[in-house]
Amino acid sequence: MTTDHQSGSLAKRVLDRIEGERVRPRPRWEFLARDWFFWLLGGVSVALGAVAIAAALFEVANADWRFWAATHGDFMNFFLSAAPFLWILALALFILVGYVNIRRTRRGYRYPFWLIALGAVLTSAVLGGALFAAGLGEPIEEAVGDHPPFYRPIEAAERAWWLSPEHGLLGGTVVGVSSTSDAFTLRSFDGSLWQVGADALSTTSAAVVERGGEVRIVGVPSKATSTFEGCYVFAWQVEGARRAPPPAAPFALRLKAGAPSGTTAVAVAAPAGAPGVPRVETFSVTARSNPCTGVSPYGSPRAISGD
Amino acid sequence: MPPEPTDEEVARRALGDKEEFALLIARYEAKLGRYLERLGVAGREDREDILQNAFIKAYRNLASFDPELSFSSWMYRIAHNETMTFFRARRARPTVELDEEGTSLISEIRDERADTAAAAALRLSARELGAALERLPQKYRDALTLRFFEERSYAEMSDILEMPVGTVSTLIHRAKKALREMLAGRIDI
Repeated sequence: MTTDHQSGSLAKRVLDRIEGERVRPRPRWEFLARDWFFWLLGGVSVALGAVAIAAALFEVANADWRFWAATHGDFMNFFLSAAPFLWILALALFILVGYVNIRRTRRGYRYPFWLIALGAVLTSAVLGGALFAAGLGEPIEEAVGDHPPFYRPIEAAERAWWLSPEHGLLGGTVVGVSSTSDAFTLRSFDGSLWQVGADALSTTSAAVVERGGEVRIVGVPSKATSTFEGCYVFAWQVEGARRAPPPAAPFALRLKAGAPSGTTAVAVAAPAGAPGVPRVETFSVTARSNPCTGVSPYGSPRAISGD
Repeated sequence: MPPEPTDEEVARRALGDKEEFALLIARYEAKLGRYLERLGVAGREDREDILQNAFIKAYRNLASFDPELSFSSWMYRIAHNETMTFFRARRARPTVELDEEGTSLISEIRDERADTAAAAALRLSARELGAALERLPQKYRDALTLRFFEERSYAEMSDILEMPVGTVSTLIHRAKKALREMLAGRIDI
């Protein structure tokens, strides 16, 4: 740039350049628009962070932490499968993008990183919690989760964990109760039909079967193909889902299972820290037939399968 | 006699009349010239170049001036950024030339250990201090210059350097420590 150092005062030289180069003050709206643009980008980042939190909450709520020992044997394996790493990473990324944009607003430089990050995380958490409560965690988690090749939505993952009859885990829909009332038919999540023995079920488990719908069963595989001895049956619940639960289709036939008089109630400790899960659940075990002896829904699959 | 218009008032008027801008240039020319010198722009012509560019940039962006800031901080920020652009473009190393004004900085460094410094003898010339400042990282030099030579508050420095006040405070602390280590043996502290 050519600069005149000689003629007149600095003020005169600057004004001459302003005149010569036809410099005009940029209109104020340009600066305001720029400021709003960066605030908008910051806000969008926080909103995307809320989406990530809603999906993370859905994943955490539906991983069913009670059964970690049954489904994975080792807690670390379960944690690596169930913890919402992708969503936490996404949240961190959105917070960072939000910070960069808010930092570029007119007074954004005044806020330290931790303050913006904390504010963004809290805002995202509140909005994300609201989205989850409104049942939007599931569609978000599933819609986004279907795309990355390395990621499987939690419900699909969990259904896969419960398709392991050789390890005493079976999940699916109850489609009928046998006329002899000692078994029921289950269509597992992969579409196979199973005859599940109900002799050893407690009244609580039997009631779950009689209500119909989707269930998860902890039991013992039989030698015969497609048969399974049920020991514990739990309703398959989806937390934070917007969709209505499958309509209850109670079966007219009752299972014979149930605790006879003189049954001893045994408390089985559920794993600590599972959200919304009672610490202790009670099962009646005296009615157990031999195959279920020693089987716990919170035990390791190795113990159940006996291998 | 009416009171002198404030910088902010003049800036507002300059939006409609560029001749008013000359008053702002006159008010800041000398101050900013000294500031640039302390930042390490040694050549007079270089300083004038930077100042001309800074004032033109200020004029072009006058409508973005935030009245909640002081005009002085805003103008210093533009001059500071222009100087950094100059250093980067020229790949020039700053040359800091100080006179007796370095005394306040030395006092400040020494005060950190006031208990042992009561009888400390100052054995450092302004030239030696300038040479030490030259070797400091730019961000430390900026912080010390604004704080001890320009006597800016932390809030003003925050607006000039575009960083949070807490970061300014940390920067000054680290800069003083780095300078003290650099001058170890040269001042009795």
